[in-house]
Amino acid sequence: MKKLLAATALSAFALAAPAMAHFQLVYGPDMNVRKPVQMPLKLIFWHPFENGHAMDMGQPEEFFYVLKGKKTDISDSLRPITFQGANNESAAFEGVLPVKRNGDYIVGLVPAPYYEGSEDIYIQQITKTFVNKGGAPTGWNEPVGMKTEFVPLNKPYNVIAGSTFSARLLSGGKPVVGAEVEVEYLAAEPDMEANAPSEVTARPMPGGALVACTDENGVFTFGIPKAGFWGFAALGSGPDTEHAGKELSQDAVIWIKAFDLE
Amino acid sequence: MTKSTRTALILGGSLLFLATAASAHTPLCACYDNGDGTVLCEGGYSDGSSAANVPMIVRNEAGETLLEGAVDANGEFEFERPEGFHDVLFDAGEGHQIVVPQDEIY
Repeated sequence: MKKLLAATALSAFALAAPAMAHFQLVYGPDMNVRKPVQMPLKLIFWHPFENGHAMDMGQPEEFFYVLKGKKTDISDSLRPITFQGANNESAAFEGVLPVKRNGDYIVGLVPAPYYEGSEDIYIQQITKTFVNKGGAPTGWNEPVGMKTEFVPLNKPYNVIAGSTFSARLLSGGKPVVGAEVEVEYLAAEPDMEANAPSEVTARPMPGGALVACTDENGVFTFGIPKAGFWGFAALGSGPDTEHAGKELSQDAVIWIKAFDLE
Repeated sequence: MTKSTRTALILGGSLLFLATAASAHTPLCACYDNGDGTVLCEGGYSDGSSAANVPMIVRNEAGETLLEGAVDANGEFEFERPEGFHDVLFDAGEGHQIVVPQDEIY
């Protein structure tokens, strides 16, 4: 009887799990800095809202930043790490963002396509995040030429909790109309030393993934209820649809940081 | 309404507008040691507007001017570190001044 209960509980868990989304994370604890810094960033592919299963990453195809319209390759800084997820460990990476001049460092990651056995497809989440130095805005609201990307309409590194965040979804530089955008909260920020989740501060609510849709201009808006990191993913928004003979979901991901108004 | 009242109202309105814009307009300045005896400063504003032509004053410990220049069209001011160098003043007028001391030049 106990076995049956355990099996039922496990199936329920397994059924619940796919409702939450894969999210490529590019994480550093500070999106706003005042002094020059060699900033470590963690590249982790997991289920951040539920502090869930983490997936193995292959060697990324591109890792770069754009400052004042100039793109700089920082893929040489990447080194493999092991992320100790809550339930499993996974192959992840750490890179270094060199921050010196004032302005918006738009960090881009094009990961290797990941084979998702349960769906028999490849997933490639082209991810964008931001670091600002010195409070000088220099291009956070401009596209950086990724195959698919979100272009923020609100400054992404100091959103006020309780306000809203909007962004335009582009594919090949053109707005994507009617796309579903999945929304996740980074419920357990990675511990930069331990390469493991730190304290869990939120849990996903019932009803599956949080979803907003892009309008006729490719724009979505989402109310940000809580301080911390929020991620947005548009599944299959990219122009590439096949990899190694299988379906490819080429997604756009963006991360923002919200603060309480104190 | 007389013409002069109307003018006063328009003027008042413009002043209010200017004041509002200024409050969302924080000056920014940061300087870096180029490692070759020169220092590069970046000046700008938090709303992204240009600080071109804002005076930059390089001073000694007594606050005396050693060098003077201005932010260029790219938002930059570069100078050779002079003998007795203590700080740099970004001088965009009252309430818009920033002093970057030597030990905050990275």
